[in-house]
Amino acid sequence: MKAAVALFLAFCFAPGVVFATGLATCDSGPQSSWQSQETLTKILSDKGWTVRRIKIDGGCYEAYVVNDKGERQEAYFHPVTLAPVPTKPR
Amino acid sequence: MVKVWDPLVRASHWSLVVCVALTWASGEGGNAWHEVSGYLACAIISIRIIWGFVGPRYTHNARYARFAEFVQTPSVTFAYGLRVLAGNEPRYLGHNPLGGWMIVLLLTCIALTGFTGWLYTTDRFWGVEWVGELHEGLAIALLCLIATHIAGVVLASKRHGENLAAAMLHGRKREENERA
Repeated sequence: MKAAVALFLAFCFAPGVVFATGLATCDSGPQSSWQSQETLTKILSDKGWTVRRIKIDGGCYEAYVVNDKGERQEAYFHPVTLAPVPTKPR
Repeated sequence: MVKVWDPLVRASHWSLVVCVALTWASGEGGNAWHEVSGYLACAIISIRIIWGFVGPRYTHNARYARFAEFVQTPSVTFAYGLRVLAGNEPRYLGHNPLGGWMIVLLLTCIALTGFTGWLYTTDRFWGVEWVGELHEGLAIALLCLIATHIAGVVLASKRHGENLAAAMLHGRKREENERA
C-alpha cells in the first residue's frame, strides 16, 4: 500500500523536475558564443516592450515580456543571433 | 478498533494527495490543469483549516479533527522527539506531536505555494523572477516535506504495529492506552 503510494507520487513528480516551459529548442552551441541577456533586454525595451525576466530554456533565451499592446508574451530568441524563434503551439 | 478520523479529515487528506500530484505532473508548459489543481488544493486546505477549529473533538467515539488536540507545545514536541530517538516514544491515538507539526508545515507550504502561484498570474507579478523562483522553491520544499511525512508515517506504523495510511483511509485505529 505504501509502496503503491510512493510509486504514484514518484511517477507524478518526475516530469516536474525539469523546470522548463518547453515551447522551443535552439541549436545554440557553447555559451561563450552567445550574446548577453542585457543586449536582448535592450533590443526588446527599445521596441517599447517591458522585459520582466529572461530565462534559458531549451538552449534558447526565453523572455517574459509585456509588449507594446500590454499583452503578456513568452518570446523565444536564439542566443547567438538574437533572432526570434517561433514557438510550438501548446 | 475505534473511529479516529472523520470523513472530512480523510477526504481532504487524499484529495490533497491527488491535487498536489496533479500540480507537479502539470507544472510545465502552462498546462491549464496546473492552475485548476493548485486552486483546488487551496480550497481543500481552507476547508480543512476551518474544520480544524470547529470539527469534532475527542469523545468516547474518538475524533481528532481539531488542531488544538494534536498540535502540541514546542517543549512537549521536543521531548517526544527525544523519545523517538531513544526508541521508546508513546503511541498516540490521534496524531503524535511531530506528526501534528508536520501537518501545520504541509498546510502552510501548500498555502504559500498556491498563493505565490496565484500572484504570478496577476499583471503586477507575472514574469517577475523572484515570484517565479519563490513558487518553484516552495514546490520543492513541499516535496521534501512530503517525503519526510511518508517516512514518518512508515516509522510510526512500524514502531507501534499499525498501518497508519490505512487508518487514514477507513478512519479506525486500535484503541489502546495512549499518551504513556
